[in-house]
Amino acid sequence: MSVYAYDQIDRDMLADRAAEFRGQVTRRLAGDLSEDQFKPLRLMNGLYLQLHAYMLRVAIPYGALDGRQLRALAEISREFDKGYGHFTTRTNIQFHWIRLKDAPDILDRLAAVDLHAIQTSGNCIRNVTADPYAGATAEEVDDPRVWSEAIRQWSTFHPEFTYLPRKFKIAVTGSAKDRTAARSHDIGLKLTRNRDGQLGFEVMVGGGMGRTPYLGPTIREFLPARSLLSYLTAILRVYNRLGRRDNIYKARIKILVAATGAEDFGRQVEAEWAALDQAAIDLPDLELARIRTAFGVVPFEALPARSTAFEAARAADPAFARFARNNLAPHKRPGYAIVNISLKAPGETPGDATAEQMEAVAGLAERYGQDDIRVTHAQNLVLPHVKLDDLPVVFAELQRHGLATPNLDLVTDIIACPGLDYCALANARAIPIAQDIARRFETPDRAEAIGELKIKISGCINACGHHHVGHIGILGVDKKGEEFYQLSLGGSGAEDASLAAILGPALPADQVAPAVEALVDAYLGLRSDASERFLDTYRRLGPAPFKEAVYADADQA
Amino acid sequence: MTLQALTANRLLDGEVVFWSGDAWVEQFADARLYDAEAPAEAALASAKGLATVLIDPYLIAVTDDGAAPVSFRERIRALGPSDHLDLGKQAQGGAAIAAIQHAHGAARSTGRLSLIRRKP
Ligand code: SF4
Repeated sequence: MSVYAYDQIDRDMLADRAAEFRGQVTRRLAGDLSEDQFKPLRLMNGLYLQLHAYMLRVAIPYGALDGRQLRALAEISREFDKGYGHFTTRTNIQFHWIRLKDAPDILDRLAAVDLHAIQTSGNCIRNVTADPYAGATAEEVDDPRVWSEAIRQWSTFHPEFTYLPRKFKIAVTGSAKDRTAARSHDIGLKLTRNRDGQLGFEVMVGGGMGRTPYLGPTIREFLPARSLLSYLTAILRVYNRLGRRDNIYKARIKILVAATGAEDFGRQVEAEWAALDQAAIDLPDLELARIRTAFGVVPFEALPARSTAFEAARAADPAFARFARNNLAPHKRPGYAIVNISLKAPGETPGDATAEQMEAVAGLAERYGQDDIRVTHAQNLVLPHVKLDDLPVVFAELQRHGLATPNLDLVTDIIACPGLDYCALANARAIPIAQDIARRFETPDRAEAIGELKIKISGCINACGHHHVGHIGILGVDKKGEEFYQLSLGGSGAEDASLAAILGPALPADQVAPAVEALVDAYLGLRSDASERFLDTYRRLGPAPFKEAVYADADQA
Repeated sequence: MTLQALTANRLLDGEVVFWSGDAWVEQFADARLYDAEAPAEAALASAKGLATVLIDPYLIAVTDDGAAPVSFRERIRALGPSDHLDLGKQAQGGAAIAAIQHAHGAARSTGRLSLIRRKP
């Protein structure tokens, strides 16, 4: 057992939900429901209409899956879609070629493996983002999945919070190193301990991307962990009461927090919280313990910290050594590693996985990874618990399926939203830009020499590609019907969060990859040494030399 | 006036369709092109009555030679995604598809002037 185990109540709820949607689809097709009536119903089940077909967004609660679930997703992609799926920056998966008439059957298939599309649309509390290294990294104070699951249960169909002024996203990180972009969420929660060793959360509120990006300020340095749900309730109540409903662009909590001021907003939350019947909302310790137990215990073996098989493979195979250098992270247990599976092979679509690839990853998780798979907000996958001894064979299998790209957090590990290739809201394509850039840097030596560089691309101002927090952010804009791209520099979605600043005038599509190359070349010439990341150099020197590099080049072109 | 075509997504499967004058067809090349406002608007009005067949019919602007939609978005709808040339309408290949793929000149942002692009 690696994911939270559903009980009969959960299963009945999913079955009911799927049956209800089947009825709604039947009524829509018969003409008993108009599109205006039906659209909110299908959206509540993750079904969007995009450019070429319907898109079904399936929730992957806090990004955690087991092999059986990933196999089911692979089967759905093969049977009902076109043999692939797209992992998103919200750690969900989207199928881009869905037929309305198939959607009820798909929800049944999902329900059979405890999956669904609830909380993937609408102005409700959406699927929670959690650290993909949960339960595996020694950095963590506590397992964020337990708290994410508590939030999921509390927020699913919460009658008071189903029609908020706007959608609402929560992230939970268990460690100081932030792999969730916590400050870019409506609420970011960081598990921490106070001086007395008590477990709690730092609470950040009012972050967000979109057309007005904000980093969420901390409104409470330490909230005792057991008070989480009552405190969230207080935040949501203040938001529900004061958040704007008159203007869609000003309806997110970030606007309210910015307008009110973090301190004042925090005071209102505290007042609301003090007035609540907290005990009636907060989970009793017993229930928290039950949730924790429902994740099961990973049967780790006592292993030596050093693996001869791993060391021998690393010495013998430079490709494996490179993969180990870039894609492995330390595990809390000796003899284990966290394996990052990049879905960013140069030339491929960021975040896409074919049915065969999904099955391969599911098989690896089942055989070598405690049946545990995670999805990251950077659109990659993680096998959180793999024995060092097994890494050579896991690597070989990943290679066989085109999944061993050794580029985690490097220049080719690009986040890109579906953009105008699929998305009905897009202004410009994002995928071909990512492909162009990745091809330019596809020589692994070069990418490694550049070091950590996070490029994030969005096809419109909704910012699903997180361009505001890219070391290099790229935003597609529509200039008189042509695709243009605005470059921003200096953003970060990690613990050193910052918002990127626009570099200069937007560039035509074919100038974007050359501009990125010019930025990288400038950085290589400017960095104090190889340990100074692109972001650090930018922060040290400011935009001027980078502006010069791009726009001087553009003039010559 | 600019040429126009009538398009929508099919309710049952979301497929992009065009009005040929007789039927809803899947290829832009088979779309009827209107060079006058009144018949185009009349076709749109009757399409709006087909609530169990279509979602959201609208008129799009077409290039003067009739070979391609004007806007980039509509070209992608008429072709398919550019990261999977084997998928969507473009997969069938042929001269008409190539004409849309190679349509040049600035694609003006027309066709859906009333489109409000906000995320649900
Ligand atoms: S950023 Fe815009 S184009 Fe990209 S997926 Fe989001 S809404 Fe679509």
